[in-house]
Amino acid sequence: MSALPARRDLLAALVALAAAPAIAAGTPPGDALEGLDPAAAERIGRAWLAANPSANTASLARRLFPDGRSALQRLRRAAAADFRRGAVFVHRGWRLSDTEGALFGLIALKA
Amino acid sequence: MAFIDARGLPDASPIEADLIIVGGGMAGITLARELAGGALKVAVLESGDREIDMNVQALYAGSATMRAPGNPERTMDAYPIQSRIRALGGSGNVWGGKCAPLDPADFAARDWAPHSGWPMSRRDLQPFYDRACDLLEIPRFAETAPTSADPALRPLELDPADGFFSAPRAYSRYSGGADKAAFDRFRTAFAQAPNVTVYLNANVVRIGLAADGSRVEQLEVARLDGKRHVARARTFVLAVGGIENARLLLASDDVRPAGVGNDHDLVGRFFQAHMTYSVDGDEESEGTAVHVSRAAPMDLYAPKARTAPYSVLAAGEKAQSRLKAGNFTLTLFRGQETGAGAPAKAETQTLARLATRVDGQGGSAGDGQLLGCFAMTEHFPNPDSRVVLDREHHDALGMPRVRLDWTYGAADWDGFERAAAGLGDALGAAGQGRLCWPVRREQLLAIASASRHHMGTTRMDADPRRGVVDPDLKVHGVDNLYVAGSSVFPTSGIANPTLTILALAMRLADHLKSGAVR
Repeated sequence: MSALPARRDLLAALVALAAAPAIAAGTPPGDALEGLDPAAAERIGRAWLAANPSANTASLARRLFPDGRSALQRLRRAAAADFRRGAVFVHRGWRLSDTEGALFGLIALKA
Repeated sequence: MAFIDARGLPDASPIEADLIIVGGGMAGITLARELAGGALKVAVLESGDREIDMNVQALYAGSATMRAPGNPERTMDAYPIQSRIRALGGSGNVWGGKCAPLDPADFAARDWAPHSGWPMSRRDLQPFYDRACDLLEIPRFAETAPTSADPALRPLELDPADGFFSAPRAYSRYSGGADKAAFDRFRTAFAQAPNVTVYLNANVVRIGLAADGSRVEQLEVARLDGKRHVARARTFVLAVGGIENARLLLASDDVRPAGVGNDHDLVGRFFQAHMTYSVDGDEESEGTAVHVSRAAPMDLYAPKARTAPYSVLAAGEKAQSRLKAGNFTLTLFRGQETGAGAPAKAETQTLARLATRVDGQGGSAGDGQLLGCFAMTEHFPNPDSRVVLDREHHDALGMPRVRLDWTYGAADWDGFERAAAGLGDALGAAGQGRLCWPVRREQLLAIASASRHHMGTTRMDADPRRGVVDPDLKVHGVDNLYVAGSSVFPTSGIANPTLTILALAMRLADHLKSGAVR
């Protein structure tokens, strides 16, 4: 199993999901995630965590970012696989992959 | 010939032709148009006039109740009047002009869909669809949708293995709701042919069978002023709509007690209709919506102009088989204020942004786009969904009124929910977007918006134990009586039925012209 990534690496991986121009501009991770309303992301994450009470920062980090920064392609594949096997997280009617729910869960735990 | 107002005819004067078409709606008019200028002397008997008359419209009055497991019954007693037009042109007077063929899957016998299967395929009907498109002056529908180089007109890139596809729709101007002048020409010009006469204000109230029940000898025609006529021909076609065709067959019970064509208790059963399902946003949710991850405009699905051609997302046979569902479509429309509360809206924006990035379509391309949507699902053929006569109540001409028991079974909505989830999963798996479907099963009847599409009550099947009419649309057991219109559809699909009604009417016209009128 990969070593637990540092908080800095987790945030960097999340940044990889954010807008490319922001990354190119060297925007700090917190700002690069500005598109994700922190309060809204936390609420979504809390909803996912409520359905997955055993999840914690370490387990989510290992699941979502085993390779630190090179996470995007893997997350994309994981999300697609979730939809194919019906591993979905329904929030306010939105049908998301469980991987996306876990991402929000991690954000909520990091908040 | 031309138009004759039956109110000007002497009492008891006969009406005679080679072929009598009962009903001057879209089916009857199309059939008459096809026969105009030919050798057969054709009479069209239309209950109404050129304009809607509420006294005539009141002949449609009845009662209706929708039922579905786990939902409160929904009383819709105004529906039998409000969902039809009893005037020349029929419901074409209020039709919006939307045209679509049934999908190939709609014609298939599907083992998860009881009573499914047409005695013809989409390919068999394609030449008639093409002729109907030509008549309505819209592009023909190919079996495979054309592609476009314009990014805005490109379909979403769904995995074919999931079985969802983009099903095209188009609008004709020949509808009362689109171009009244064009529609007026459509519904009247054919009557100039020397072999066609259209009788207005002529209500057929009984089909008179020969004593042995094998043939129609005459029709009884009534007028609101109390006068009566007899109409005689060699061959007759009923074309008065998906509810009224059944009513007239059931009410003509003097020779055959169960009614005409009803030896196997099928007339009026298998009523099917279309409904749309959607909810607005509220404090808790965005409402029914789709987040699309791509940046390119979605003009293929949600064009700027209301009557421009467009496509819906539809479940093909592969998706239906995989999900054990009927046909299902999702129609997208341009974003507008959904009514979602602030927390719900903020969460929509946040999860949509994350989804766009996960889908690999974020960055400079933006955060995707939010579209509203509504769904439609096939109403499975159900013998308990039916039109029956209310013999306690009669209209001004003495005919029993109708009672519509519009019934869904658990299978309808089991499949509906699986199809909605399946499309949401297909969008997500392909990295194309996410579906918001905050609809609970127990609210489905309450939120549904009913169409004017009435189908299935004289269903078509080669086996008289399974169908009222045969594949030529002739009533089983009656040598010279045919039925035109959506009442002959064995299954309902999702498509607006008008184009299929026209295609089948053209097919019937070819049959009648080939010597069937004897």
